[in-house]
Order: sequence, then structure tokens, then C-alpha cells
Amino acid sequence: MSNDGISKEPMLEMYLFEGNLLVEQLEEIIIKCEKDKKFEMGDINEIFRIMHTIKGSSAMMMFNQIGLLAHSLEDLFFFIRANQNIEIDFVGLSDLVLSGIDFIKAEMNKIEKGSGADALADELIGEIKTMLEQMKISYEGQNAAPATLANSTPDGQKALYYISSYQNPSAEKATKYCVQAFFEDDCQMENIRAYMLVNNLQEIVIEIHHIPADIIDNAASADIIRETGFTICFSTLAPYGEIESILNQVAFVRKMEINQVDDYPAEFKVLQSRREIILDEIPQEYQQTLTETVETGSTNNRQQNIISVSVAKLDMLMDIVGEIVISEAMVTKNPDLVGLQLEGFSKAARQLRKLTDELQDIVMSIRMVPVSMVFHKMNRIVRDMSKRLAKEVNLEIIGETTEVDKNIIDHLSDPLMHLIRNAMDHGLESKEDRITAGKPSQGKITLEAKNAGGDVLIIVRDDGRGLNRDKILNKARQRGLVHKPESELTDKEVFAYIMLAGFSTNEQVTEFSGRGVGMDVVAKNIEKIGGSITIESNFGKGTEIFVKIPLTLAIIDGIEVGVGKSRYTIPTISIRESFRSDDQEIISDGDGNDMIMIRGQCYPVLRLHRMFKIKNAVTTISDGMMVMIETDSKAACLFVDRLVGEQQVVVKALPKYLKKVQGIAGCTILGDGGISLILDANGILEGQLA
Amino acid sequence: MAVLTEFDETVEDTQKGKFLTFTIGKETYGFEIKYVTEIIGIQEITEVPELPIYVKGIINLRGKIIPVMDVRLRFKKEPREYNDRTCIVVIDIHDISIGLIVDHVAEVVVIPPENIVPPPAIKTGFHNRYIKGIGKVGNEVKLLLDCNKLLNDEEINTLSNAVE
Amino acid sequence: MVKSVLVVDDALFMRLGLKTMLEKNGFQVIGEAANGVVAVEKYKELHPDLVTMDITMPEVDGVEALRQIRAFDGNAKVVMVSAMGQEVMIRSAIMAGAKNFIVKPFTEESVMKVLSKL
Repeated sequence: MSNDGISKEPMLEMYLFEGNLLVEQLEEIIIKCEKDKKFEMGDINEIFRIMHTIKGSSAMMMFNQIGLLAHSLEDLFFFIRANQNIEIDFVGLSDLVLSGIDFIKAEMNKIEKGSGADALADELIGEIKTMLEQMKISYEGQNAAPATLANSTPDGQKALYYISSYQNPSAEKATKYCVQAFFEDDCQMENIRAYMLVNNLQEIVIEIHHIPADIIDNAASADIIRETGFTICFSTLAPYGEIESILNQVAFVRKMEINQVDDYPAEFKVLQSRREIILDEIPQEYQQTLTETVETGSTNNRQQNIISVSVAKLDMLMDIVGEIVISEAMVTKNPDLVGLQLEGFSKAARQLRKLTDELQDIVMSIRMVPVSMVFHKMNRIVRDMSKRLAKEVNLEIIGETTEVDKNIIDHLSDPLMHLIRNAMDHGLESKEDRITAGKPSQGKITLEAKNAGGDVLIIVRDDGRGLNRDKILNKARQRGLVHKPESELTDKEVFAYIMLAGFSTNEQVTEFSGRGVGMDVVAKNIEKIGGSITIESNFGKGTEIFVKIPLTLAIIDGIEVGVGKSRYTIPTISIRESFRSDDQEIISDGDGNDMIMIRGQCYPVLRLHRMFKIKNAVTTISDGMMVMIETDSKAACLFVDRLVGEQQVVVKALPKYLKKVQGIAGCTILGDGGISLILDANGILEGQLA
Repeated sequence: MAVLTEFDETVEDTQKGKFLTFTIGKETYGFEIKYVTEIIGIQEITEVPELPIYVKGIINLRGKIIPVMDVRLRFKKEPREYNDRTCIVVIDIHDISIGLIVDHVAEVVVIPPENIVPPPAIKTGFHNRYIKGIGKVGNEVKLLLDCNKLLNDEEINTLSNAVE
Repeated sequence: MVKSVLVVDDALFMRLGLKTMLEKNGFQVIGEAANGVVAVEKYKELHPDLVTMDITMPEVDGVEALRQIRAFDGNAKVVMVSAMGQEVMIRSAIMAGAKNFIVKPFTEESVMKVLSKL
């Protein structure tokens, strides 16, 4: 295929896309089978099919090493499929397949990056072949006769002669022909092609014989045909023209001679005297596997109703829909229309608004992807690490169907991996320690996802040794990171110290973690996608890490407020209420911080014009508005000049050139072309409050 | 009154040696036209908190949000009120788009390499850092700027040092 | 007259590859299926002139799907797509009425050779 001038690019992309998908599926199945200590028929079939597909595609793309590796695994599972009773070394087999998977993943990675797939799979293939040999030997030991399958070629058998026809009284009036055919070099499976010639002639012949005769079962006949050609002798009432056209239906025939004969050549006379009918027979075992339906677990079925779309196109679609939302606002909220009574227009505008809302919802949902893919990747990590650390661990996954924007999911994988690694390396104790502590020897890690308002909450929970508050506090104190009186620090705040750069309380650096460069990177990555991390822990019992990430970054509901001549948008989800107040109600402490009492609770008052140094803003409380914003743990009242209105806005990122400003999440373009900065409640509250 | 001019930057070779010049006070500066994507009149700038004093904020350029820098303030000169001659020159370097606010745009000149001399090696002058060379056009002297330095100075990378 | 084709293969990659080849050579791919069940459904719905049928597929494999399609339409023209080592299945397929077969990895040339005869 590669020399055909068909552009390689889309094929390469598809190869990598599908390859990666299949390899992930395969990994999941193998890990599951290893855990359950059995291979269901459905699993074997799927593994076989996956290797078969990878073999085929890799051959097409000329990635021969991957193809050969896949082929050897295919053979291995072919054998397992046909001989279900054999003893399988689950751990050994899984390791082998996982090594194969790693090889393929690594090669595909290289291909993706532009360097070639240049690693050799010889060693691995050797190991796989060895395992297959061992299986065959032990199988033969278990059973009397090994199952013969059409995949293997019986060696050195002399070709037997069968006759494939019946005698007919009108045979005497028919014309006899002899056909000799040669097939094109490299056309493969000449014996089957020869069979096709015979099969096609069946309808018009009275009797037919051919040499070699055992073309069906004996793959070696292909070689014979390649060398000496295929000879058919038959008698028929059909005219020559019909014979010729029927024979020409078969492709890859290089040379064919059709001769009318008075009598068959000597070799064929032998055939005439023996009449046995060919049984249309497929070996019993094979028959079973042919028609067996596959059980669930195959995500292939789901793909029937799913098409794959390039993310670039989705992004473009999102952008345009975003622009449409802005344009729609620019039309319906146009300053030119202020004060005009336009009933017909308003009605049409409402309808337009309704439709753009729907369009937006649908496009947003297209981008939503379940977290399952990312979650399932963790299975492999848990498996590998539990081996290396000699810790038994059970990974429980809850809520994997929870959906998150595609943009965000890509950034989740690394942080989650690190959290799981940490839990395994540091969180969970060794088997002995666990038993001493009265815990089950098998550690448990739970990975859970659930919706929480406009965010998605991902929880990594372990039942390990938990965090030592005092140890952490000491370290923080040593490094001068403690800025609050220690008695006032909540557990959450103490635990949060471990997310600061360079903070590891580990004396030893292990292969997986402990360098102290992990948690802060995790925190930063989560922050980058607009999320936050909180840590809770029970010393001796376990640790829970809560990762909160926004459902989507793209479109939010917000309240527009004005301060001076600047405009800001506050996400509706962060607003608890808004109200008017006056200077009487404001309490000042000695340091210049303002507070206000609402229903018995005290809230800080943050004057936006002071925070952002905005000129010409309202400073008298009674002339402005209070907007109470809140996050999980904190709340405050923002003082602004005025409330402008509620609207749905398309979030645009601030130009990268500008450094990130704490408290500003992005910006949006308003109906009149102006820009409104979007406030980030978390950022504001974290930044302004201790 | 917006003066909207767009420059075709597809064929780089034909743009070699072409400079767009603008004035700040008495001096005339210039930089290579290949970086200029358009020139627009001054428009409403949305302020963004906590930026360096010379980054005035952001503007909406047909749906794209770009930051704008006041070159006067960048060169630590006296700030001036914007009027209708004030222009924003939008440049694009390494995928960063930024608008430069200048007093007014002069012209596009071709300055052959022979007429460009390296700047004097005096370390004292502040904006020496940004000057790539001195171009002579007739009797006049144009200070040719290094766009990269203008944007990517260490000062910019550590914006936390912003002087408010 | 443009011939319409139904491409059946459980691998996205193969479907894309075949589709590209076919369309480049003047065929029109009017449908795709990733398993035997859908293949038969689509055949009944779309009535393509030709079908390319992969042998190894989940749910119902290519040979069985071929049988069902031929039972529905005795004139159905189906070409099997197989890998080396599947002689038995190809033979069954031919006996069940497949017109020809292509072996993976295939070239555009050989695909066209086979299809032009149908």
C-alpha cells in the first residue's frame, strides 16, 4: 500500500489512533485475566482479534517488527483458543504480553514523533515462541493426540487423490477438456485459487478431476501449483465460450491453456476409478470457535455508533460556536437598539438565543469524554508497582462514566498517575506492617469521579498509613513556610504544605517518588486547568486527595459587574448573593481590613477598586453593590460599583504574553465589543485572605 | 479614526531591508516590517491588574485579544496623552501578538545594509539594549529596534518585579 | 456506471485504507460495517453492488455474514479479505459463494485486479 501514491498521512494517523486504542484494550484485558486467573473464551477471542488486526495494519504500513511481534502473539493465542484445557502460567503469560504491549507502544510513540520504528523484536518474539513450544509440549503430555488445526501444515504427506464429482449417464455426449493454469508469482494461497477455478466450474461440469488433488487441506499443494501449475480435466456440455469466461473470473492467473481432448491423460485415468466424495469438513474444534459469539467487554460494538473526529476540528467548531454566541449578543444587545420598542425583533431574537443555546450545549457535549480511559490506565501502573514493591493492592474505580471536557482530560493523566504512585509507594504500608496494624494485607486504593455542581471531583483514596501532621508542620517550620500561628492551622492547611516545591519529608528517594518534585508539579498542573487540590488524612488510617476540576473551561454563566470604567464577569457558580449595604455596616480592624456581618457570620469585604487599583470607582459603600462570593472553604464580599446583568460568556484566555494574574481566570468579549475580565473566586479568596 | 493598513508578510525576501518607522518624541525608531501585521488607530484599552506600567492592558482586535505596550513608557520616557494620531502597531513574533502604542507612524523605508551601523558600545543608555543598529536615511537617523529584545527581556520574564 | 461498495472490517485502519483505494479507482463506498451483524443489516438496507468482507470479526465473522447475505441475495458479490493462514475459512467462504479473495497485506493493484473481474 505504501507505494501506491495514496497519501500516507491519514493512514498513519489512523494506524496510530487505532493501534493505541487496541493496545490499551489489550492491556486492560490481560490485567483483568491475570487478576481473575482465567481466560474467558470472549477474552481470548478478543486478544486474538486485536493481535490479528495489529498484525494486518502493521504489515500494510510496513512496520515489520511490530507485525512480526503481533503475529507471534496471534499464534500463541490461536493455540490457547484451540486448546482451552491447557495449563497457563498466568503471570508469565501476562508479563510476556505486557512486554509486547510496551514494545508496540514505544514503537508507535517513536513513529508519532517522526523517528522510525527501528527496534528489533527478535528477543521478545523468541520468548513468545518458546512459551508456545512449552505449551505445545505440555499439552501433548496432557492429551493423547494433539489437535490438528488447519493453521499448521502437515508435513511430508503424500498427496491423496479424491474425486470431486458424480457420474452422469450423458457423460458420453460431453466434450472433454484439459486446462493447465499458472498463477502469478506472489499471489499467495495458490491452492485456494486453484480451488476457486474448480468451484466455478462445478456448475457446468459432469465430472472433474485435478492435480494436485488435495488443494483444500494441504497447504503444501500451493507450492506444487506454484512450480508445476494446476491441471484440471473435466467434461462438460457447455460451450467453449462459457468455459473460458468462467475460468477468467478467477484473478491472478498468469497463464492458462484450455485444450479439448479426446481422452484424459494417464494420471487422470487413475482418478476415475476411485470414487470417494469429499467431505465438506472443517475440523471440529475450529467449527466451534468460528460461530461462537463474543461476550461483552468488547468496546468494538460501541464503536458502531461512534465516529472518530479530529480534535482540531472540534476545537474549530468550539471557537466558531463561541464567536456565534458573542455575535448573537452583539446583535441582540446592540447599543443602537436601546430604548427602541421592537416586538417582532425581540421575539425573533429570543428564538435565536434559544437556538444558539442549544447549539452550544450540543457542541459542549461533543467535547465531553468519560474519565474511564484515564482511570483504566491506572490499572497497569498499580499492577506493575505492586509487583515491584511486593505490595498487594486492589484498585477500585468508581464513577468512570463521569464526563469531562477533552481539553481537561489530557491534563489529568499525569497528575493522577503521580498521585497513585505516591499512594502505592508512600501511602500503603508493606504487607507485614499492615498485618501488624490489624489491616487486611491487601491495600486498597479507590479512584472515584463524581459531579459536584459545575465541577468534577476526583478522589484518590488509600487505606495506608496516612499523613503525619506534626512531621509535616515541623518540616514546614524549618523551611520558614509557616506564616500563621500554628494553633490556627487546620489539618487541611498543614497537609497542603506537601504541595509546595521541594517539600518531601522523605529521607529516601525511591525509584518512583520522594524527590519532592512531584506534588508541587501535580498541584501546578491541576491549577493550569483551573482546578484545585485538597488533602485530608487520618494518621494510621489513610489519606484522601480531592482534585476539583471545572467541567469545562469554555463557556460559563456569569454576572457582569462594573468598577470604574472597567467591567468584570463573576462566574454565577461562585456567587452566593448580592445586596446593597452602607458604610455603617462595615467594620474595620486596625490593619485596614474591612468586614461585614451577615446573618451572624463575619465576612471579609474586598474592595475591587483597591485590589485592582482601578481609578474613578465608587468608594462609598451605599453607592455600590456587594457581591458575596464563595469557594469550598472561604467566602467574602466583593464591593463593586454596579451590577450590569447576567449573561453567558465565552471564556477566552488572556494572552500568554501576560503573566498569570491571581484572581483573573480569563476574559470575554461583550456585546459592544468591549472586554470584560473574568474573575476567579478561588484565586481572589486565596490571594486576599490568609 | 482608524487607519487600517495591513502588510503582506508572505514573501520575506522582498521585505528584507524594509523598516517601518515611528516617532516617539524627537526620535524616530524603526523595526523590520516582516514583524508588522497591521496598524490601527488607538482604541479602548481594557486594563488588567498587576501588569508592568508599560503594558497598558488588552484590546479586542476583531475577536482576538492582544496585549498592548506603550513604547514611551517602555523606554522610560514621559508619558503622553493619546490623541487621534496615536497608533497601535501590531507585531507578531514567535506566535506572540502584541500591539505597540506609538506617538505616530512615519513611513516605510528601505535601508540597505551599508547604511546600517551597529549601535555605540555604551552601556549606560537604557534603550541601547533594544537597539539593533542605527540606520541612515538621507540626513536622518533612525534607531532600529530589536523586536525580540523589546518583548523578551529578562524584565518581562520576571514580571513580578513590576514597578507600580 | 459507478459501482457501489460496502466495506466490512473491524479495523478502522483497514476500512480507511480500502475506502481510499476504492474511491481513488472510481468506486463509491456507500457504507461500512465493523462486524458481521451490521454487515448483513447494511447489505439489506443499502444493496451495494459489491462487498469487501474481512474474515476475522467479532459478533459474527465474515464467513457467516457472507452466508447470510447470500441467503438474502443469491446474486450478492462478496470478496473476502483475509490474512495468511486462513485457508480453511477462505475455502468455506468460496463454497458459501464468495466471488474471490484478497490477502493482507494487499496492494492497490491486486485489489483492483480482483474487483475488476466482478
